[in-house]
Amino acid sequence: MNFNDVKNKDIKTACEESLSLAKASQAKLNAVVSFVEVEQQVKELSNKNANSPLFGVPIVLKDNVSTKGILTSASSRILSNYIPIYDATITKKLKEAGAIVIAKSSMDELGMGGTNLNAYTGKVNNPYDVNRISGGSSGGSAALVAQGVVPFAIGTDTGDSVRKPASYCGIVGVKPTYGRISRYGIIPYASSLDHVGYFTTNVSDASSALEVLAGRDDLDMTSSNQEVQAYSKLLDSNVAGKKIAILVNVQEAIEDTTITNSFNHIMNTLKEKGAIVEEVRMNDDYMKALLPTYYVLSNAEATANHSNLDGVRFGVREEGADLVEIMINSRTKGFSSDVRKRFVIGSYSLHVDNQEKLYKKAQKVRRVIVDELKTIMNKYDVIVASSSGTIAPLPNQKCGEDLSVSHLVAENHMLLGNFSGFPSMSLPQVMVNKMPVGISVMAKAFDEVNMFNIAKAIEEITGLENIVVGGDE
Amino acid sequence: MNFETVIGIEIHCELKTNTKMFSGAAVDFASEPNTNTNEIDLGMPGILPSVNKEAVASALRTCYALECEIDPLIKFDRKNYYYSDLPKGFQITQQFYPIGSHGKIQIETELGKKEIRINRIHMEEDTAKQLHQIEGSFINFNRAGTPLIEIVTEPDMSNAKEAIAYVEKVRNMLYYLNVSDCKMEEGSMRCDINISLRPYGYPELGVKSEIKNLNSVSNVQKSIEFEIERQSKILLSGGQVEQATRRFDEASRSTVLMRKKEGAVDYKYFPEPNIFPIRLDANWIEKIKNTLPELPSERKSTYTQYGLSDYDADILVQTKEVSDFYNEVVTHTKEYKLVANWVIVEMMAFLNKNNIDIHKNPLSPQYLAIMVEMIQAKEISGKQAKIVFEEMMNGKDPRKVVEEKGMKQLSDTSAILTLIQSVLDANPQSIEDFKNGKDRAVGFLVGQVMKASKGQANPAMTNKMLVEELKKR
Repeated sequence: MNFNDVKNKDIKTACEESLSLAKASQAKLNAVVSFVEVEQQVKELSNKNANSPLFGVPIVLKDNVSTKGILTSASSRILSNYIPIYDATITKKLKEAGAIVIAKSSMDELGMGGTNLNAYTGKVNNPYDVNRISGGSSGGSAALVAQGVVPFAIGTDTGDSVRKPASYCGIVGVKPTYGRISRYGIIPYASSLDHVGYFTTNVSDASSALEVLAGRDDLDMTSSNQEVQAYSKLLDSNVAGKKIAILVNVQEAIEDTTITNSFNHIMNTLKEKGAIVEEVRMNDDYMKALLPTYYVLSNAEATANHSNLDGVRFGVREEGADLVEIMINSRTKGFSSDVRKRFVIGSYSLHVDNQEKLYKKAQKVRRVIVDELKTIMNKYDVIVASSSGTIAPLPNQKCGEDLSVSHLVAENHMLLGNFSGFPSMSLPQVMVNKMPVGISVMAKAFDEVNMFNIAKAIEEITGLENIVVGGDE
Repeated sequence: MNFETVIGIEIHCELKTNTKMFSGAAVDFASEPNTNTNEIDLGMPGILPSVNKEAVASALRTCYALECEIDPLIKFDRKNYYYSDLPKGFQITQQFYPIGSHGKIQIETELGKKEIRINRIHMEEDTAKQLHQIEGSFINFNRAGTPLIEIVTEPDMSNAKEAIAYVEKVRNMLYYLNVSDCKMEEGSMRCDINISLRPYGYPELGVKSEIKNLNSVSNVQKSIEFEIERQSKILLSGGQVEQATRRFDEASRSTVLMRKKEGAVDYKYFPEPNIFPIRLDANWIEKIKNTLPELPSERKSTYTQYGLSDYDADILVQTKEVSDFYNEVVTHTKEYKLVANWVIVEMMAFLNKNNIDIHKNPLSPQYLAIMVEMIQAKEISGKQAKIVFEEMMNGKDPRKVVEEKGMKQLSDTSAILTLIQSVLDANPQSIEDFKNGKDRAVGFLVGQVMKASKGQANPAMTNKMLVEELKKR
């Protein structure tokens, strides 16, 4: 489903259909935490902006997006009764734009994970093969868009959490520049790496959606004052003279020949269309350092960010003899063991005796990596690579724990976009045994225009737009 | 006593801003508990901090007043710990890069003048206020997020008198700067005392105790005196002082152990990722510097230039409202000394006697100026002025009082001379006495002239003229 499909229908019918589809897909995907009734929202449309691309469009929000009066659990047990008293800035913006929220989607608990296996409501299944993972942490949102339930869903991306599930589910996943979309009201994972992102089924919808979401928010001091551009009007697939860099470290780490062949085909076609396509190489050690650096930094920030989850003022409270015991019991029962493990790691790296050799070192490594990336990025319009070296894995595969070179580089290179804040997106590249794999496009900070334009050119080459699984199986 | 005392002081001071340090909620302690809070102060999931510019301006003013070096790149850090009065589970503070450092302030005690070095001034947010009752603990979040500055000295004080002089001087300065209401008894200003003993001449510092949260100058004094005695007893008996945090117990007038150093919390400080470093605009800083309110020391030097004694000048600047009043009066008259006398003696006595708050002082500065000018012009006597003053305290115009009570002094020389001649004519015996060297006769005759003038003759003038006339006879 895309934005145009909705525009051709009666809004109320379209939204109700969408909600029904979501409910019908639940047994297959398990992607929804809460369904949201549409009637009242449709009634309130009269005073909304009818010119917005999202006017009357049914959408899904990841369950870490604060929605006043609606459960926002971030797929964590400790928040499984938490109803916010305020709306996130993007919730407000989407409401103003006339979008109709039909569901809050499942995610890896508190955004911590890349599989969507770790949600208190259970794992989310891949619409193309329910035995496989959707990817995470925005797996619920990705699965619902790929299934054809909604044409748009919000996700968040701390370490490829939008782009990786987009790749595994065969849709478009966008993570704009850090500061482009307000994070106010998003239950965080790691503040310096967290981005609001989103899913669509084609590049054109992706470009117009950003016009709705982007912009300065005084409630988020890291949001940018840079002017929001007319991405959809500027959308242009002419690549003549565009400078495209292939990140060869990634391509070399990919073993699947279907993927490498398709990638090479796309690059050759871009060349034929007049693009200047060159190979670039990041220091291999830096590429291998991405995941461990990410692990130290993200978990350090997370352990502080989630200190407010103690069961005292909101959330699920476990009883205890005194305040400390209440906090300990609530946190012990409220979080999964994986999340607790991450808190321990984060806390360990911030410990006064370890900070220098772990947390501060990781910060330095991040800077060194970003410096090299900037040097390369400055010479090109975009850097491209396959989003993933494989199709969506099965749950029993080592998802994320694999420290082999191919995994470290091929499966984690999109962290570059989080480290640097550069805009990065994934769009469908090729089907491998009926399972999709994406291709990623990264541009300079606030140069979403070039990112969308080159993605559009790639989309025209692959022909993989508006592909959804459909509801009839 | 065989030991030298070494004292350093940390002052926490709540800033008098309209809104909180990182949220738009109002700062107002008088209002109903938990009414001046929002999702940010309550540490709800997803909130982000926005720095209060007015609080930064107040901190800058304090830095200038304490002659600190200013760091124009404002950075914040997280201090992590779990407590029920800290909703986020961390406090945003300036651990690594305080806004001000290397300052100084001069204090004066009976031992003379001394310079106290300021180690640092930094900004942070206050915690919520807790009330422990029999039925349970209550938390008022109105205070949560209130802007605070912390002023830390070097260990430059060596007795309770210096500590008190320092606290009072800083308190008065902050009050003049209008950055805080500095009410220690209400908790808007609190002191922590670091105190250690060492044998005289020893270069190394002894082991210190930190006494937390002192809420009055008198408790500062009592706790220091108690600690000196406690620590010297330990040292004299061959023991060792344990590094610890203590609190002052008012009931027993002693300091009580809170926690030992070994149990110290590791706050796991790290840079606040949600606030990018803020480069303060040089023009803005300059403007704040140039519009700094006049400080007590500056006012004192103006007063001594007016010819006031050090003692009088000190009394005037001790209370900003009194000094403000004085300054207002002397915009209307140049009789600086006389005004100071009336303000310090009569006005203060009246306010004290009638228990009137200085803010409700009924005396008009302009009327006082007029009255002082009348005294100086010998239009009324000092004795008459006291009556006029009483009436002015009821809001009456001194000119009216003088007129109504027929007080105007007779300064017309010819009129006085006529009276003198007739008195002399009527008292030949007194003239004889004067010639025989009996000075008392002059007093008698002046009294007669005054009587004849119904008390309105200028006594000094009368005396002078009378003696001249006597010599002529």
